[in-house]
Amino acid sequence: MAHAAGGRLEIRGIGKTYGGARVLDAIDLTVENGEFLTILGPSGSGKTTLLRLIGGFTDASEGRILFDGIDMTPVPIYRRPFNTVFQDYALFPHMTVGQNIGYGLTVRGEKKATIGEAVAEALSVVALDDYAGRYPAQLSGGQQQRVALARALICRPKLILLDEPLAALDAELRRQMQKFLKSIQRQVRVTFLFVTHDQHEAITMSDRICVINDGRVEQVGTPEEIYYRPRTGFVATFFGENNLLPGRLTDGAGPWTVDTAFGPVACADRRLAELAPNAAVTIAVRPEALRVAAINGAPHDDAPGDTRLEAEARSVDFVGPVSQITAVCPAAPDRPLLVKTASRAGGTAVRPGDRLTLVWAAADCAAMAGVAADPPAAGP
Amino acid sequence: MTATAAPLPALAPPRRATALARRLAWLAVIWGLPGLFILVPLLTFLVYGFWRVEGAEIVADFTLANYVNFLSNETYPRVFLRTLGLALQVMAINVVLGYATAYFLAQIRGRTRYLLVLALIVPLLMSYIIKVYAMRGLLGANGLLNQALMFVGVLDRPSNLFLFNLTAVLITLTVVLLPFVVLPVFIALERIPRSYVDASADLGATPWRTFRHVVLPLSLPGTVVGAMFCFVLAVGDFLAPQLVGGTRGFTYGRVVFSQFGMAFNWPFGAALSVILLAVAMTVIGVAGRLGNPRWMRR
Repeated sequence: MAHAAGGRLEIRGIGKTYGGARVLDAIDLTVENGEFLTILGPSGSGKTTLLRLIGGFTDASEGRILFDGIDMTPVPIYRRPFNTVFQDYALFPHMTVGQNIGYGLTVRGEKKATIGEAVAEALSVVALDDYAGRYPAQLSGGQQQRVALARALICRPKLILLDEPLAALDAELRRQMQKFLKSIQRQVRVTFLFVTHDQHEAITMSDRICVINDGRVEQVGTPEEIYYRPRTGFVATFFGENNLLPGRLTDGAGPWTVDTAFGPVACADRRLAELAPNAAVTIAVRPEALRVAAINGAPHDDAPGDTRLEAEARSVDFVGPVSQITAVCPAAPDRPLLVKTASRAGGTAVRPGDRLTLVWAAADCAAMAGVAADPPAAGP
Repeated sequence: MTATAAPLPALAPPRRATALARRLAWLAVIWGLPGLFILVPLLTFLVYGFWRVEGAEIVADFTLANYVNFLSNETYPRVFLRTLGLALQVMAINVVLGYATAYFLAQIRGRTRYLLVLALIVPLLMSYIIKVYAMRGLLGANGLLNQALMFVGVLDRPSNLFLFNLTAVLITLTVVLLPFVVLPVFIALERIPRSYVDASADLGATPWRTFRHVVLPLSLPGTVVGAMFCFVLAVGDFLAPQLVGGTRGFTYGRVVFSQFGMAFNWPFGAALSVILLAVAMTVIGVAGRLGNPRWMRR
């Protein structure tokens, strides 16, 4: 299916207030033509509201939505060149699969033959060739999902909005559909704006991710940037686990050193260059970046490291491919460090109570300006 | 182990027999009560319709005379057709008014909506005779309708066009039966998820096309049910015509009623009832078909 060129979406200063409650605040976001951008956030963060504003289902309290430079704010839903895949699919129960898919063309008054051809093509794109005559109630969840996608694709939109479309599917089917959606997106080269609360889904599918929390954009970046170079404590801890070490920048020129409760930590994050000496900084180190260099004084993992810490192992948990060690540093007993090491048959050599020497590289440290909030008690 | 298990097979058959007896008892209650109170009276009517009356006696021998009498008579078929026409008019007006009312109700958000629905249900709980009498008051020479029309300036003096004729019956039945259409349509509309309307607009349908292609077809089964209620209740009604119809508002229900009263011709009345029942059943059958389209059956 060839789609017309274009599809750059600009969101400028969008805000939304519902009965006194601020749901979205000063959102700025640009989605490039042909990009797969995911809006990621916990439930209640405002991500679905943002999608509904773009789709035209709700009016923004302020701000503008530009599409290929044209202001979409006053354009009614049925004239916007976007199509939506809904969370509950919203397939019309009184129409067959074929009629559902052809709906967008039917209401535009296309000729029957044209609609028939387009429907057949759309059905083959989503691999449901023989299902035109079925009713939605006769399909499985995954099949309904594909019909919803085909129905959105047939109008040849320049932008497809997907509102947690995989949330209702079981884990295995969801993985298949993730691959499928991604391949369709490459095939039709249309801009996808995808909303989810699932970090794994966001990381594996997106070109870029926009993390929003409490109605504000926390960070926009590639999955690698979001994972390894978080800008806020929320982003650092929303994607898997992270060790946060608050401190102050000691000297202004790289390689930098940050003074923390754990002692001096070497950090190679270039973003530190923008900060003045003595500025408050929080270092984030992934648990898998921490290595156990020695156990009770005996050398263990021969890993190089720019920062070295003595700590005592409190617990060791086997969680499948990795084992998690919780270690406490005497200098900062209220901030236990999490270490993830690859699991081996026979278990890891570390036992609770062991004295550990932990090392990590300066390159594995992300620096965030300010004192990042502590990780939330329970992840979403 | 084997010693304790041995008595069990011997006990099993009686237990199965009690279960069967219990099932049969339930079936007898489930089918028996409606059978006794609905089917038997109807069958009695069917049988009565083939009997005849001689003086003040009902004679129980088989005859088709009642049906022949109905068809060969000049008045009865005419009244019958006129009543069907009346019921169709009541139904048509109420489908339009009732759908509009239900649509309006379904658009309202929050508590107001259910307060209004409740206001619609209250008249259903009131006595039918009281409602018809109230209508008689509204439609009379000094009634609200005439007063209002004079106030607006449409009429100079009270009109007698609104009482003791077929128009009066039409207006009364329309008003009294309106909730029977509004409620099923409202329930059907309320059940349509908001996302269907959103999806339709999203796919490029204007509000009118969304209504025609999505909202209307999805609420059609409820509308058919409401229309059926309205027609069946209107076609057999004799109280409203009796009280507001006067001599000119003669309907089929009143003919049947008079056969059991003044005319004392129960067999003929029964035959007329059977004809009415056949019409009502046909309408219910058609409505059952239309009200349960293929997409609703799983």
